[in-house]
Amino acid sequence: MSWTNVKLIFLRELKDQLRDRRTIFTIAVLPLLLYPLLAMIVFQVQQFRKENPSRVQIVGASDLAPLPRLLADGHFAPELCSQAERRLLVLDIDETPPNRLPSSEVAARARRDLQAGRFDAVVYFPPDFARELQRFREKQADSAAADAPPAAPEPQIFLSTASDKSRVARDRLWSVLNEWRTSIVQDTLRQNDLPLAAAMPFEVNNQDVAEETGKRAVIWSKVLPFVLLVWALTGAFYPAIDLCAGEKERGTLETLLSSPAQRSEIVWGKLLTVMTFSMVTSLLNLASMGITGTFILTQLQKIASSPLPVEVGPPPLIAVVWLVMALVPVSAMFSALSLAIAAFARSSKEGQYYLMPLLMVSLPLMTLPMLPGSQLDVGSSLIPLTGVVLLLKSLIEGQYWEAIKHFPLVTAVTASCCLLAIRWAVDQFNNEAVLFRENERFTVSLWVRHLLRDREDTPSVGEALFCGVLLLVIRFFANFLLPVPTHWSGFVQTTLVLQIALIATPACLMAIMLTRRPLAALAVRAPTFLSTVPAAALLAIFLHPAITWLSIAIRALYPLGDDVLAQLKPLDTMLQNAPLWQAVLLIGLTPAICEELAFRGFILSGLRHIGHRWIAIAMTAALFGIAHGLLQQSLSAFVVGLVIGYVAVKTNSIWPAMVFHMVHNSLMVLLTHVSRSDVSEHPLLSRLLVPASEAFGPWTWLARWIGESLQSEQLVYHPVAVALMLAGAGVVVLWLRRLPSHASAEERLQEALDHQTPAPYSAKAS
Amino acid sequence: MIHVRELTKSYADLRRGHFVALAGISFAAQPGEIFGLLGPNGAGKTTVLRILSTVLRPTAGSASVNGYDVVTQPALVRHQIGYVSCNTAVYDRMTAWEMVEYFGRLYGLDDETLRERMEDVFRRLKMEEIRDVPGAKMSTGMKQKVSIARAIVHDPPVLIFDEATAGLDVLVARAMLRTVAQLRDQGKCVIFSSHIMREVERLCDRIAIMHRGHILAEGTLDDLRREYEENDLEELFFHLISDHELNEIGVAANDHSP
Repeated sequence: MSWTNVKLIFLRELKDQLRDRRTIFTIAVLPLLLYPLLAMIVFQVQQFRKENPSRVQIVGASDLAPLPRLLADGHFAPELCSQAERRLLVLDIDETPPNRLPSSEVAARARRDLQAGRFDAVVYFPPDFARELQRFREKQADSAAADAPPAAPEPQIFLSTASDKSRVARDRLWSVLNEWRTSIVQDTLRQNDLPLAAAMPFEVNNQDVAEETGKRAVIWSKVLPFVLLVWALTGAFYPAIDLCAGEKERGTLETLLSSPAQRSEIVWGKLLTVMTFSMVTSLLNLASMGITGTFILTQLQKIASSPLPVEVGPPPLIAVVWLVMALVPVSAMFSALSLAIAAFARSSKEGQYYLMPLLMVSLPLMTLPMLPGSQLDVGSSLIPLTGVVLLLKSLIEGQYWEAIKHFPLVTAVTASCCLLAIRWAVDQFNNEAVLFRENERFTVSLWVRHLLRDREDTPSVGEALFCGVLLLVIRFFANFLLPVPTHWSGFVQTTLVLQIALIATPACLMAIMLTRRPLAALAVRAPTFLSTVPAAALLAIFLHPAITWLSIAIRALYPLGDDVLAQLKPLDTMLQNAPLWQAVLLIGLTPAICEELAFRGFILSGLRHIGHRWIAIAMTAALFGIAHGLLQQSLSAFVVGLVIGYVAVKTNSIWPAMVFHMVHNSLMVLLTHVSRSDVSEHPLLSRLLVPASEAFGPWTWLARWIGESLQSEQLVYHPVAVALMLAGAGVVVLWLRRLPSHASAEERLQEALDHQTPAPYSAKAS
Repeated sequence: MIHVRELTKSYADLRRGHFVALAGISFAAQPGEIFGLLGPNGAGKTTVLRILSTVLRPTAGSASVNGYDVVTQPALVRHQIGYVSCNTAVYDRMTAWEMVEYFGRLYGLDDETLRERMEDVFRRLKMEEIRDVPGAKMSTGMKQKVSIARAIVHDPPVLIFDEATAGLDVLVARAMLRTVAQLRDQGKCVIFSSHIMREVERLCDRIAIMHRGHILAEGTLDDLRREYEENDLEELFFHLISDHELNEIGVAANDHSP
């Protein structure tokens, strides 16, 4: 790829977009005008807005006389609520004496009135309310006695929680009635010559220690990332549509495609253009909103008599710095996504249709972090976008340790999303079916017939991805439907059903139905070199210590929740107490066969049509990881998946992959069955395995950090053994690397395309 | 210069399974000649030329341009060709000069060579007066001139014209044909597709008559006239095509009869 060409294309596209009046308007002019305009409208509307009064009926209030007054002149008494509150509660007082109103009749009438909308709430004082209350107060006066006198019957508020107005009325009534109750209490105290403080021995006082900038950061940390992301997406989408679908429409795309520029150069040039617009749109909007918002809030603060409930002021400088830094990867991701979608669209109009689904997917990911209580942890940092927003939030709030801890994960996820999106966009440009797509008649029956009639030897990329997603969906529902095993035989059953019926069977069925050669689709064939089978076993043994330590480290970095630990505990005990041969068959052999058929069989065979073996391996490993349910397990399963995928690709067969998987899982089972006494009896074992408490020797801080996730009695691999065996694994991998391996037609083509030597300009020669 | 061997292109089609756009055609074109592809709409002319310009990939068979393979060395092939088709438009918001300059740079010309070439091309195509006219303001004829300028700015050994006279008025079309003939005289290898007999008759040194993905006949005009004993190209063309269609119907009928 030549960066001169990329720059050339980038500059041309940029100039082209800047010559478009509409682009300039949406990018630069609109945001500058939008926020002041919005603010103006809000102010205007504010002037007309008024609070609607609640209509309330009071029933049975006619003989409340002996108590401090509740009502006065058809309103609540002025000492119970402010003038404004009185106006907001319009009362309809039913003067019928309470003893003539049976409570059932009142309830029925209140229901009718509320449903008809005549009142927003009805307050009902039962017949004996006042008298009982009075008696209660007198008894209190008589005896500070031990036997508690019966409380008065409860007044009732009828309301409908299905109506907002009704709920507002309830809240307003609550505050008035509370005030009234306090005044009754105070009255009682007064009558009994007790100090008022007897009812309220202390008050709780808030002391806010947050600094000015910190308080501002909290608000900005919620608003700014959201605005930034929404505009980064919008700012990327429209230029992308114009640059791809628009060019297709105008016929200039074929001109560009027949020039010597490579597809990747075209994509990068366009990507940089789209990114520029995405970032500029986002920053301009952010600036405009920030300035307008700050200006208005300061004005409001000057006008308002009491301090506003929110701290205002410009966002702290550090927040802006973090935002701008996060903008780069985010807008790269959005730009690449938009570009791929836009390349797929036949016309600008079709392109516009795809904005909605894109928003539907990305908006929840952006709003999720704004929910109260959502925080940066291992789960959320694995979610694209959400992780970035939460990381930003932590940075703006100054929680640097949290941010640093999750930075690698968030970066890894974001980077892989970016790369995948860019790769996807390049593939779209390489795919002639996408570039010269024409309308064709589509019916479901035709499509199904086409699937079954025009089958290939191995599954297509789409079929492989579908299989992967299907397995995950099945797995999700199975989690709820399969019973949680309470004893070993139940555990055996659940695992067998999961592995055989829900993982291997769907993959095998799809292979039989959707491909011409199911065995080839599942990669069930002899490996190119038979020696790779024992080599795979050896590799699994050599890598096992390192992978075990990896999962320990993952658990130390991202600890499991207590409830998850409690759920896992009985399963672990079950596994430890089960007969060894059964455990090895169940945990070692079954998944090795079933999961490999699905993942390194059907899915990997299909994904290899992408043309990049490492992308195929990584995507398979990601699906394999997610299928493991527990996030911490998923991470180490992903790594294991990468290794098995590489073994499968290099050997062109499922058998070595199965052997690796079986040996790896069996070693895991064996490790749980080895006890300390076994270790002390065998000198070799005692070199290999040590109790966790002794594993680190002098490095106690490391031990303390990791120790939380380990019991000190637990046996772990000795660090020296880990290093030695890792070196052994390296040797095996080097040997594997040197073996010639089978490449799919797409991979061979890609290989050839990557090795074209650019011809020097030869016009003079010809 | 151009070698096409058993070139096949088929598309997956929901209804028909595989739709064959090119059924294994072969031909070769040499420097200093204009090779004409003559055929009705849907004959597969555009498909061949798109494969030669590496925009499409063949399903089977091979094609090479100046020794470079169109499948495995597409970027190198694109350096060797200038491609003008009715589908290759000019940018609306760029002037003629900018457009040609942009592509010249994409072809890897250095500043000095590019300037020389551009002055030369603009003079030869009589484009001086539209130098600073943006694409949106150009007539169809002007746009076609810019396209040609864009295709020859890097002085490629091979030029491909796909229905390049479509939509041009007589005057502009004549000028355009003259340009193509001049390019041949400079020793370029030119491939020229059209469905207009007279153009092909006047311009091409050798022609291939295409129909439904097959080449029905190939040779110099005189060869064809002698072989089919028909002096009028239009009659010859019509006979070939109707014979081919009758054949196809016959084959289809035989397939279906028990």
